[in-house]
Amino acid sequence: MITTLLELLEVSAWAGIAAVGFGILFNIPRKAIFTVFLLGFGAGFIKFILLHFDINIILASFIAASFVGILSLPLAHGIHQPPVVFSIPAVIPMIPGYFAYETVLSIMSFTFLDKNDSKRIVFMEDIFSNGFTMLFILISLTIGVSLPLLLLRKHTVKRTDN
Amino acid sequence: MKTKNRLEGIADLLLEIASILMVSGANTNRVNVNIDRFASVLDCESYSLISQKTIILTVIDNETKENYTKVKNLPGHKIDFTIISSISKASWKAIEEDWTLSQIKQEINTVIEQKRYSNYIVLIAVSFSGAGFCKIFGGDYLNLALAFISTFAGLFMLQSAHKRHFNSYISVFLASLTASLLASIGVYFNLGTQPDATLATSVLFLVPGVALINSFTDFIDKNVLNGMVRFANGLMTVLAIALGLFVAMLIFQLK
Repeated sequence: MITTLLELLEVSAWAGIAAVGFGILFNIPRKAIFTVFLLGFGAGFIKFILLHFDINIILASFIAASFVGILSLPLAHGIHQPPVVFSIPAVIPMIPGYFAYETVLSIMSFTFLDKNDSKRIVFMEDIFSNGFTMLFILISLTIGVSLPLLLLRKHTVKRTDN
Repeated sequence: MKTKNRLEGIADLLLEIASILMVSGANTNRVNVNIDRFASVLDCESYSLISQKTIILTVIDNETKENYTKVKNLPGHKIDFTIISSISKASWKAIEEDWTLSQIKQEINTVIEQKRYSNYIVLIAVSFSGAGFCKIFGGDYLNLALAFISTFAGLFMLQSAHKRHFNSYISVFLASLTASLLASIGVYFNLGTQPDATLATSVLFLVPGVALINSFTDFIDKNVLNGMVRFANGLMTVLAIALGLFVAMLIFQLK
């Protein structure tokens, strides 16, 4: 139990580091770096715990992205930055790169390498399952991050008359 | 005549703001909101047609109802969240303190002149995120090291190609090829427990995350055209990445 938890924490810390790396690529303000790390770490932790309990990866990504989206509103108020500045880098580590890779790999094997019909059917299945998982994770990440923003847009968190 | 000049100045300023926001990777709604805020400070109304390469903007003076329309072409996109953040902050301050045209101009100039992180810091930070990705996909520390090296080389290639003003998709292709060639060495010699994870994650730094997320937020806001353009741009980038990966895998005859 303890070792699993430690492993989860280690992986989540790397998710936080990945988020900061992307943040720096997108030139986020210095003040936001620590926040991005925390959000990336938290989102990673939630996602990996959910995956540990065998929850579907699309749902897990959605919940983790919503965590980032909801938390970024009070944080934006706290450090006086618009929420996109740290919500987008924080979800980048959850981008379904591995599924994209598997999709490309299957497409390549399907098109170039194998002429055996029964194997080609397996590749076909791989293309569809990986491709659609990738697409749905992407959509759930976007919705998770942007929905709190869209819902609260009319009454923005920051007030002018203070 | 005086108001005409003033309106032209306002139109220029608003176009400048819209263009740097768009280029820095703000979604269409954010650009609109920011322009509206600045326009209201200057006692004007503004209407705009925003696309990825051109912005058309009309300003109308609230008192005289005179109007002025201008078109601006956008430079190449380069994501910069510091600019988005500072302009957003400036717009709030402008409303609170009721800034004049020249004050806003001055603030925008200081925003543009802010420095980016140096290329070396970006190289190292992004290589660490490459290693992080590898860890997320179950690599051990040998895989992580190789992912770090391939990301570093790939990003270095991307930056050099940008400096020589290559077509951006060709730059992405070259970067993806460089990174996946290095990572393929790991798969070929079966280094570490999960060499596949290294290969899959070595090209992830190229994934157009901002373009794809912005494209869906634009769709949700019903800015369908901009959303489609962003999605198509993102898709082209993904294809360039996949092509680089293809070529590397063909060279190493992987699976």
